[in-house]
Amino acid sequence: MPVSQFTTLLPNDVLARVERMRLNPIRRQTNRMRGEHLSSKGGTSIEFADYRDYVAGDDIRYVDWNIFSRLNHPYLKLFAHEEEMHVVILLDASQSMLFEEKFDLARQAAAALGVMGLMNVERVSVYSCASLQSEPVIMPPVTGRASLQRFLKFLEGLAGGGAFPVEQAIEEVLKRHRGRGVAIVLSDFLTLGDLTRGFNLLHNAGLEIYGLQILGPSEIDPELTGDLRFIDSETQQTLDVSSVGELLGIYHEHRLALEAHLSAECRKRSGRFLSVSSDEPIKSLLFDRLLRKGWVR
Amino acid sequence: MSWWPGFSTASYAWLFLLLIPLIIFYFLKLKRPRLDVASLALWQQVISDQRVNSPFQKFKRNLLLLLQVIILSLLALAAMQPFLQGEEQQLKDLPILIDCSASMGAVDEESGKSRLDLVKEQVREVIEDMLPGQRITLIAVNSTARRLTEFTDNQPVLLSALDEIEVTDVPSRLEDGLQVAQALTRTFTVEKVLLYSDGNLPTRPDPSGQRIATVDFDLSYQLEFRQVPRAGRNMGITALNARRAAVDRWDVFVRVEAGEASSSSGEVKLTADGLPLGEPEPVALEAGESQRLVFSVDASRPAFLEATLSADGHDALSSDNSAYLQLPIGRELLVYCPPELATYRHMLRGLEGVILEPDDEGQADLSRYDLVFSDNRDDLNTESTTYVFVGVVPEDLESLVTVEFGESEVVDWKRDAPLLQHVQLKQVVITDLPQRADGVEDGDFEELGYEFLVFGSQGPLMLRKRDGPRLYYYLLFHTDRSTLPYRVGFPIMVQNAVNIALQQASLSELKPVTTGVLPERELEPETTYRVTGPRGLSAGYATGEDGILDGVGAPYVGRYELRDREGLIERFGVSLMNQTETSLYSVDEIQFRELSVAAEEDRLSSDKPLWPTLAALAFIVLLLEWWYFQKKPAGMLAAERIKSVRPGERHVP
Repeated sequence: MPVSQFTTLLPNDVLARVERMRLNPIRRQTNRMRGEHLSSKGGTSIEFADYRDYVAGDDIRYVDWNIFSRLNHPYLKLFAHEEEMHVVILLDASQSMLFEEKFDLARQAAAALGVMGLMNVERVSVYSCASLQSEPVIMPPVTGRASLQRFLKFLEGLAGGGAFPVEQAIEEVLKRHRGRGVAIVLSDFLTLGDLTRGFNLLHNAGLEIYGLQILGPSEIDPELTGDLRFIDSETQQTLDVSSVGELLGIYHEHRLALEAHLSAECRKRSGRFLSVSSDEPIKSLLFDRLLRKGWVR
Repeated sequence: MSWWPGFSTASYAWLFLLLIPLIIFYFLKLKRPRLDVASLALWQQVISDQRVNSPFQKFKRNLLLLLQVIILSLLALAAMQPFLQGEEQQLKDLPILIDCSASMGAVDEESGKSRLDLVKEQVREVIEDMLPGQRITLIAVNSTARRLTEFTDNQPVLLSALDEIEVTDVPSRLEDGLQVAQALTRTFTVEKVLLYSDGNLPTRPDPSGQRIATVDFDLSYQLEFRQVPRAGRNMGITALNARRAAVDRWDVFVRVEAGEASSSSGEVKLTADGLPLGEPEPVALEAGESQRLVFSVDASRPAFLEATLSADGHDALSSDNSAYLQLPIGRELLVYCPPELATYRHMLRGLEGVILEPDDEGQADLSRYDLVFSDNRDDLNTESTTYVFVGVVPEDLESLVTVEFGESEVVDWKRDAPLLQHVQLKQVVITDLPQRADGVEDGDFEELGYEFLVFGSQGPLMLRKRDGPRLYYYLLFHTDRSTLPYRVGFPIMVQNAVNIALQQASLSELKPVTTGVLPERELEPETTYRVTGPRGLSAGYATGEDGILDGVGAPYVGRYELRDREGLIERFGVSLMNQTETSLYSVDEIQFRELSVAAEEDRLSSDKPLWPTLAALAFIVLLLEWWYFQKKPAGMLAAERIKSVRPGERHVP
């Protein structure tokens, strides 16, 4: 008897493994609210952090009396401060993402990273931006295993289509979101706009950027020749290109330049960037590349 | 050569109008395949790349149209039949003289090609490059000229005629060929005549000692002399003569000469009727040198001599390696001199090897003589080859000249005439006075075949006439009525007459028969004879009423046979015997009467038709177009390098 899948996005074994993994942000940008993420500041959690000399004015409740009885000198016991971290998942659901199952891989990656957040009691929210004419589809911040089913159902129900530039989508998200943490941007980043502003806004909002570029195989390695008329899937604009075969070398240079540009912009803001092909298996992405790159642990 | 091409069928330029519908249809039918892409972001960056917008890339955008325009233009141009205008562009009718004399048969040691082969290659190129409307006639020139084709533009006919040209073993003589070309200029539009030759022409030294080729001809058209390089080493026999040493002995002389190119060596073998006469004589000659070999041959029986030269190593010309000579039986000279000419008989008696009739008893037994002295016109009926009539006016000259009594004075005489060599006639007193009739000119005598030997004050004193094999000398005055018998020149003149008779009877000096025509023979009248020769030569000839067989062609060195229905009549050995041909000396300039023509250093190229090239280019462009649009994209070469970079990995250009 076949085992029923918990979700259509991730196989059960992948889901089980993902539940044991955690996001691994470079900077610990957390909220004031208590959570399970250790704050970079000292705090009052039950987790011991260090000792220091007692100075006048310190709360004597934190004096370690056992040490005082042995050494006859007051030492203050310090505890780590655990705070809550936001995981904002921005899913580019524009028409371009519907090509070559890019959107499917984006939803799978969003599901996996979101599950990691939920399982670690972080506040996970999802913004799916499809069309400029409609509001982004939003899943408000949820946390804990109890929200797992809701989270996955939300992702399963997302549909793509429309022309929502990713840089505008970032601004739309930041209009609604409050809280520090991690912003996972899942997109092909094929936009004519400037992403620098969007990345700045994310950084200023206290969100560490996880940029995951998903491109189709034909975008990574187009095998084209002759004279062609390209039609933009989002804007329906056309572009006549002659002797396409002669231009493939230049195309590759531009694609790699875009990748290098995005990677540099993310790194400058203590973020991460990775470009993957939509035909890459989710297992390989999660347990090999993201693990090796230190995105998750 | 003009680099601006001409067009044979310029009217086909209207084909260029097809470019208009081609361009219209191209843009009307230009429908690019549509391809949906996720985003144009990257492609717009590619298009806006400066490299893509370079002029070359812009040019590429309409490459298909450009290639189609090129193909159509090339085809239209080809239809217009363009040609590169050479100097021969305006030449509508072009006579080509091809030297096929003996020296043109000289072969290269390395290539094995004869001069004529090289000429044929060049002429073939001219024929194949003929333009529409141009016509060529081929004229083969050796010692005569023969027009091989009419003016025609039929290339197969011309090429076939060209292939049939063979080297003939005869010396060069350009005049006939030039005259044939000149005759053509009167009826055709001939502006230039091409002459293909190795430059081996009869030469004479100019005042500076340089050997120059002179042709006694007035050129009325432009002659272009295209010279082929001469061949290398050659050695040949240039003379084979026999001289009477005694009544029963011949001295045979063989002259061997080396060509101008380099020294040669070899050996000469002489055979008589196939039997060797002694050991072969070795010869070793520097360039341009000659050597004379002497053989002694028994004259008691007739002999057919053949001299063969075997050269060591390469010998360019083979036709001069064999020579032939027919030796008759040696005998005394038979002379008839009537008793009335006592002074002549007195002289003849003192000469060796002469049988004189009638004898002292008045007996004359012979029916045929070699020399007849007479003062009686009736002795014309006495059969002989040489006649000397004294005081006799020929019957056909009676209306032109009369002999009166009176004193004649010798005004001048031909000192180089064989009969008058070393004979001094000045101040000879003659009491006969031959007088020219009123209104008679020298030309009137010449029209009847007479040649003046001695000029008197009022008329000719001595005449000569050749009639076939017979030679006649007429002294219009009687020597008995002159002081000539008392002069020292008289015995000399008689001796000269004997020598001439010996020559006429082939008893003194024998020369070989050379290529060209066989010597004439007196045979049965109105009878057909067959002459066979080397290289399968066989032809029938008929004699006329006089029984003279002449004009028999002998273009090749070798043995010829004259036959009638009953069998062999006479055998001939025909030799080249030409110093010029053997030397292979070539001149690069021909001196005509008023101008000289130098060999063209740079061969003038003929008009080059371009339509095959254009048609081939169109085909190549068509293939190029097919290949270009079927090949794997050229951009993939660069892409292949980048393809190995996985997404997310760093690309190092």
